[in-house]
Amino acid sequence: MDFYLGLLQVIGVHSLLGLSAWCVLHTGQVSLAQGGFFAIGAYGAGMLTTMFGWPLGWALLVAALLAGAVAVAVGFPALRVKGLMLVVATTAFAEIVRLVFFNLSWKVKTPQGLIGPDGGLGFGGIRYFQANAWSSVQVLLLIWGLVALVMLLLWSLDRTRIGTLWRAVGEDEVAAQSAGINLTAAKVSAFGIGGAIAGLAGGLFSHNTTHIEHGNFTILLATFAIAYPILGGLKSLAGTLVAVVFIQGVLVEGLRFLGDWRSLLFGALILLVMLVRPGGVLGAPLRWPSFKRHAAASTTDLMISAERTRHA
Amino acid sequence: MTWIDLLDLVQSVFDGVMFGTTYALIGIGFTLIFGVMHKINLSYAAASIGAAYLSLLVVQIAPTPLVYLSAALLGGVLGALVYLVCFRFLPLNQPLATLMSTVGMLLLLEEAIVHATAGMPQNYPSLFAGVVFDVGPFMVRGDLLFVFGLGCAAMVGLKLMLEKTRLGLATRAVAQQSVAARLCGMSVSTTNATTFIIAGFLGGTAGAMTGAAIGVLSPLLTLPMTIKGLVVTVIGGLGSIPGAIIAGLVVGGVENLFQFLRGVSERDIYVMLMLFAFLVFRPGGLFAAPGGRD
Repeated sequence: MDFYLGLLQVIGVHSLLGLSAWCVLHTGQVSLAQGGFFAIGAYGAGMLTTMFGWPLGWALLVAALLAGAVAVAVGFPALRVKGLMLVVATTAFAEIVRLVFFNLSWKVKTPQGLIGPDGGLGFGGIRYFQANAWSSVQVLLLIWGLVALVMLLLWSLDRTRIGTLWRAVGEDEVAAQSAGINLTAAKVSAFGIGGAIAGLAGGLFSHNTTHIEHGNFTILLATFAIAYPILGGLKSLAGTLVAVVFIQGVLVEGLRFLGDWRSLLFGALILLVMLVRPGGVLGAPLRWPSFKRHAAASTTDLMISAERTRHA
Repeated sequence: MTWIDLLDLVQSVFDGVMFGTTYALIGIGFTLIFGVMHKINLSYAAASIGAAYLSLLVVQIAPTPLVYLSAALLGGVLGALVYLVCFRFLPLNQPLATLMSTVGMLLLLEEAIVHATAGMPQNYPSLFAGVVFDVGPFMVRGDLLFVFGLGCAAMVGLKLMLEKTRLGLATRAVAQQSVAARLCGMSVSTTNATTFIIAGFLGGTAGAMTGAAIGVLSPLLTLPMTIKGLVVTVIGGLGSIPGAIIAGLVVGGVENLFQFLRGVSERDIYVMLMLFAFLVFRPGGLFAAPGGRD
């Protein structure tokens, strides 16, 4: 039973991470910085509760705000570029964050002894849940309560003017700009909100696992973050959730009986999903895989794709 | 800083610049593929390391130069495979689709390497390993010099291919204007495939050079090589081959400079900060491709 509770907790944290990437992808930007914001939230919230004795709620809030503020600060220079350049810029940012935490050693005296991040050895002893006698079910409820809250927030945001602006920018930047939309404001706001959500996810992650280290926050984590919404399809929030359940529940846990072969299958399955459903699992109505239609691609398709590649 | 320290500093920067040729080759591969398809192939560096791993199959029976040659050829084969699996049948108007498919390929290649070697680093043969030339107060490691020479040879070969052959002409035409190239009767998908194969040759060579310079191959090399390759591509300017070469050498040198000054755990922070500085002050890179008619 505990195993399944733990799995649901992991799925909840990763759902938040996926939702944070969804915000940014919604404006048409591919960001690999989500892992960096996740790390900031994880270290920030962990340090606040263990080293300074803050209550968890305030620590999570401050960690989320901090990650959001960093996202806005990074967003201004980073979002001047797009496409591949943005992927690289955000990768660089995530690596800087990871390496800073890799080199950060700062311990303070607490009743539980010396505690704090210790460079390459990581940051252990984030035992807020244990110290305050939270049961696994309570932790689970907290995590999924926050997931529900964030989803509700994004769902309603998507139905307001802000959501419309984000989608307009994501669909076609030039058209959005000529309609008088402030591109920078749209992108940076999405980046900031996404960063705050990732920070929140990170805070939950560090308290859930009690030990974090720089190796938790590599580019691979960021890749997972953008993989969830892309595999699930950007059109719906539920798609992200489905993709997280599929990857964390089915692929990572459900295929354990395959042993070593599981991780091989993982990359292959991502490839397969992209070949069969390039718009995401829930992204488009069911249709034939594109290699069956390839021969039938018309001239208009060609012109449109050429037009798109030039702007990409 | 004493005179000896200064000598050490220059020495380590020099070594870094020589190793930087591998970054330059990886960067050229990214840039070539971006040039013709306007797509990122994130599995490229993993395929390059994978080609070097595959060339270990012949290490028992072939002399070292043939191992390098087979690494290059296998790189070409892997390049063709990546094109077929990750690009050929995907809708190219969805930039996210090929991004994800190449990520899937990256994970698949990395796991295949781990699976085949049980995650253990493998020794890789090098040439001139013990040879050291003294140049004034500095020394030049024979194996690094060989790697440098091999990298330069690959770049010269690429330049000749792009400028003197019909294939190179087609590659440049598609990179410049794919619709116009198609109107002139060129097959865009064939050109794309051959570009992947050529980039694969370079990648395989770079993988072999990495193995030769470090002495071992490890699955832990794939992600850092991917990141360094992307950094080089962006600093050099997307689509610019001379830019990738210079950026590769600069990144190699800067990396070793900060390794000398600040230690190995901090060096990459400064490389990434340099990249950020470029993005803020010169987002087009060193040599941005000249803006076309559109």
